[in-house]
Amino acid sequence: MTATAITSSANARGGLFRRLAGQELLLAVAIVALAVVVGFINPRFLAARNLSDILLGNAYIAIAAVGMSMVIISGNIDISVGALIGVLATISGSLAVAGAPIIVTWLAPLVIGVAVMAAQGAIIAYLRIPAIVVTLGMLSILKGGLISVTGGKWITDLPQNFHLADLSFFGVPMPVIIMVLATVLAALWMRNSPTGRAIYATGGNPEAARLCGVNPQRTVLMVFALHGFFAGLASLVYATQLRVIQSTTPQGLELTIITAAVVGGVSILGGVGTVVGSTLAAILIAEITSALVFINVSPYWTDALRGALILATVIADILRRQRRAAQGWKR
Amino acid sequence: MKTSLLTTTAAAMFALSFTAGGASAAGKWDGADDLPTSPLACDASGAAAPAAAKPYDGGQPTNAPDKAGKEITVVDVPKLIGIGYFNATSKGMQDAAKELGNVKVTTDGPTEAKIDEQIKFIDNYITRGVDGVMFAANDPVAIAPVLKKALSKGIHVVGYDANSTPDAREWFVNQAEFNGIGKSMMDSMAKEIGEDGSFAIVTSTFTTPNQARWIAEMQAYTEKCHPKMQWLETVEAQEDNNLSFNQATTLINKYGDKLKGLFGMTSVATPASAEAVTKAGQCGKIAVVGLATPNAMKPYVNADCVKSVVLWNPVDLGYAATYVMRAVADGKLKPGATSVEAGKLGKLSVVNGSEILLGPPFIFNKDNVTKFDF
Amino acid sequence: MTLAMETKTFRVPRWLKRHETLLAIILLIALFGLGLLNDRFLTLDNLLNQGRLMTEIGLIALPMTFVIITGGIDLSVGAIVGLCAIMLGYSWKIFGFPLPLAIVFSLFVGALAGFINGLVITRVKVPPLIMTIATLALYRGLAEGISQAHSVRGYPEWFYFLGQGSVFGVPTQLLVLLVLIVIAGIVLDRTTFGRALYAIGANETAARFSALSVDRVKLVVYTLSGLASGLAAWVLVSRVTTTRMDMGIGYELDVIAAVVLGGTSIFGGSGTIWGTVIGLVMIQLLKNGLALTGVKGDATIVVIGVALILSVLIASSLQRRRD
Repeated sequence: MTATAITSSANARGGLFRRLAGQELLLAVAIVALAVVVGFINPRFLAARNLSDILLGNAYIAIAAVGMSMVIISGNIDISVGALIGVLATISGSLAVAGAPIIVTWLAPLVIGVAVMAAQGAIIAYLRIPAIVVTLGMLSILKGGLISVTGGKWITDLPQNFHLADLSFFGVPMPVIIMVLATVLAALWMRNSPTGRAIYATGGNPEAARLCGVNPQRTVLMVFALHGFFAGLASLVYATQLRVIQSTTPQGLELTIITAAVVGGVSILGGVGTVVGSTLAAILIAEITSALVFINVSPYWTDALRGALILATVIADILRRQRRAAQGWKR
Repeated sequence: MKTSLLTTTAAAMFALSFTAGGASAAGKWDGADDLPTSPLACDASGAAAPAAAKPYDGGQPTNAPDKAGKEITVVDVPKLIGIGYFNATSKGMQDAAKELGNVKVTTDGPTEAKIDEQIKFIDNYITRGVDGVMFAANDPVAIAPVLKKALSKGIHVVGYDANSTPDAREWFVNQAEFNGIGKSMMDSMAKEIGEDGSFAIVTSTFTTPNQARWIAEMQAYTEKCHPKMQWLETVEAQEDNNLSFNQATTLINKYGDKLKGLFGMTSVATPASAEAVTKAGQCGKIAVVGLATPNAMKPYVNADCVKSVVLWNPVDLGYAATYVMRAVADGKLKPGATSVEAGKLGKLSVVNGSEILLGPPFIFNKDNVTKFDF
Repeated sequence: MTLAMETKTFRVPRWLKRHETLLAIILLIALFGLGLLNDRFLTLDNLLNQGRLMTEIGLIALPMTFVIITGGIDLSVGAIVGLCAIMLGYSWKIFGFPLPLAIVFSLFVGALAGFINGLVITRVKVPPLIMTIATLALYRGLAEGISQAHSVRGYPEWFYFLGQGSVFGVPTQLLVLLVLIVIAGIVLDRTTFGRALYAIGANETAARFSALSVDRVKLVVYTLSGLASGLAAWVLVSRVTTTRMDMGIGYELDVIAAVVLGGTSIFGGSGTIWGTVIGLVMIQLLKNGLALTGVKGDATIVVIGVALILSVLIASSLQRRRD
């Protein structure tokens, strides 16, 4: 395994084009191509309203995928994030119904998200328990705990000003703003900050990283804490979008988020990938889901098709990487 | 070479999708369990001619201990816990237990609607030794073996909401007949969007037994009584609020003005559909009709976005089930009975051999939605 | 494995400090405790019943151990169970196969699904996690599309013997599982194939240079994983007398929990069938014991989660102290 720490900083110096080439470009092209093809079949797909709805309805997945990408790049994984989002949304909503100041209800999921994920990160980094075990255990704890505490009662009667996701600035809805900001800031940070590069290094080759002066344990802890922040952000968008908060774990959410990260070009081998890729992938997957309805695919086959398309994208990515590697490019 | 293989596969997939799409969504829906539909009469007389009284077809426990008048412990295993609907049925059971004084009901179940999990829950309670099991089945056939096991151990078995095969339980408390619900839903929708309106359906999954049967009955009834209404599409959205919202929004965007009404088939799909209609600014232009709990629908009913919510009272359903269980344990409800006393609900009739009918569906609207808290 | 140095002072025997033994001790303590709290727990009837109920997960956990030892993973097993269950019913009812042929066909479908996983993983070099996440969606979707959400029921009586019958009082499927556990254990411990698995997991590049046909071995384990999922589907359909496209949802996590709890390292290179069995039994009996003691479902999930983390924590920290 090459020391991608060195190469990623080389790429940082490289031009915008080189940074964007690869999986991100493939995804962007796929997003546009799909829109064009479906628009041909059913022009209503291209209506501004529809495109914006696709973004709005799935922004929370993209935001969570930013954090998840970081975790995977660092060589770990997290399957508890779906349950955590459910818990944080419930906490936020419960606080709002109980009359807490709105700013508290918005900050609470961020703070608690960081705390919970950092705790997991500490166990993984310092107690050396594999991430899959810790997050699998935490998934159970969060899922069961949520039902235990709430009894599954939905949260209704939310105060009007709770709905952060309904706000917009200069005509751009809040969820999209948060999604774009999260992606851009995280991408810049990953590429340019020492900790960001340390994450790539830890994931690519922990030993080489250590030799370069990186502290893998602290890096993993940081990564999980950040992941918790983004999960909190995602849960905020998730909770404030609808008038009702279902206080249960959204089923299959963590798999969707991991899929977005993975299709986005984040390599599970660690050390490769970008958060821009995962956001684009999240958008693409959401677009596919909507497209399948628009082109009248039999509803019995939509899941199979989505799975096939994901598989095709992943295989294309790997093949492309191999060709690049054969040509001497490293990314 | 590999890329061309890839492109060929992708192309094949796409081609498949179009051919599959040809067998499109509005095709014949046969209730996913191959049972025939029996649509009711089109007019307000509603009820089909009462079927000739069917002989009792339920199962019976073997050597059930005599608990007449004594305290019984009962477990309630719904499809899943954590949704408003089953919170409400559970509440009804607790109310009944308090009134009766000698029934202890615990509600316990899986956090996801999985039949395998539900079976394991029931199995554990059989081992623990309860006097009665109440259930709402995730699958009528799959749940039968474990329920029969319960009967064989002398445990009373009463179902509610979602039936099992009749021989696996003693009685089933039915909130409403499938065709009755089909009629109520379609008539409500026809009243709002007119006889040539077009509608779409948001459901949980195609394999949820009740929902599948309701949709089948709705289709049969529409063909019979509202033949000009157009059924556009049915989409799945699990029991997930956000997913239902996204699916409903997609439908609204896809059909535009052509879509006049949305059906929500679960207590999750209906509020989400109402939200989608609200967000799209289509309140009053797209009707939302569905099954839901009043609490989740309050904001939409109050905003006149939703005119009426079709449901039975799930609290009453749980209440009735508990009374039936008590009557069975006391030996007061035997095979061949034609009615049962159910506390404040009065006398409920036995239909279809071993089903106990709760009554006509209840319509929640602006006038009464605030009076309920579930 | 390090060689123990001979010393004059008394040393705790090495086998006692192995992860599996520690886990077994924790298991026995837990069983004893739960048995005290509830008199129905440690009855033969209950234990055999639990054996019956854990067979599906157990069958899949055996080849999953192999897969994880090689450093891979297979998240699509639950979806393969759903697909095979559907194909069993579908080929019987729609294709008109005689039921025994339908059963064989569904096993074949499972093996094929696993084979495809292995093929893409070895030839195209898609990482196992990614490939099996994609096939998880694809296979589940195929189950739904093919079945059109229909169930197939009404099997002949003999079909239910596997899932609901007993042989000399032992549930039929449990017997099958026990036989396969023994076979898997022997394969892993005593054959060149087994040793190849460890070698690949420890250092794949070195394994390749040692002239091990790494790709062929991997292809075999993923195919076995699919086949075991097909077998589990057969047992499940026989047990619940119907087919549903949503069968097997979530199995992958239960299987991985059992394997990882049993001491198999997720990074590959170590693990035993014995450990997997202990992990499997532990989770099943813990869930059962808690339920019998009156702990409700949601709290049970929390306890399992805590127990998973704690057991791995205890076992690996004790092992580290030994090193």
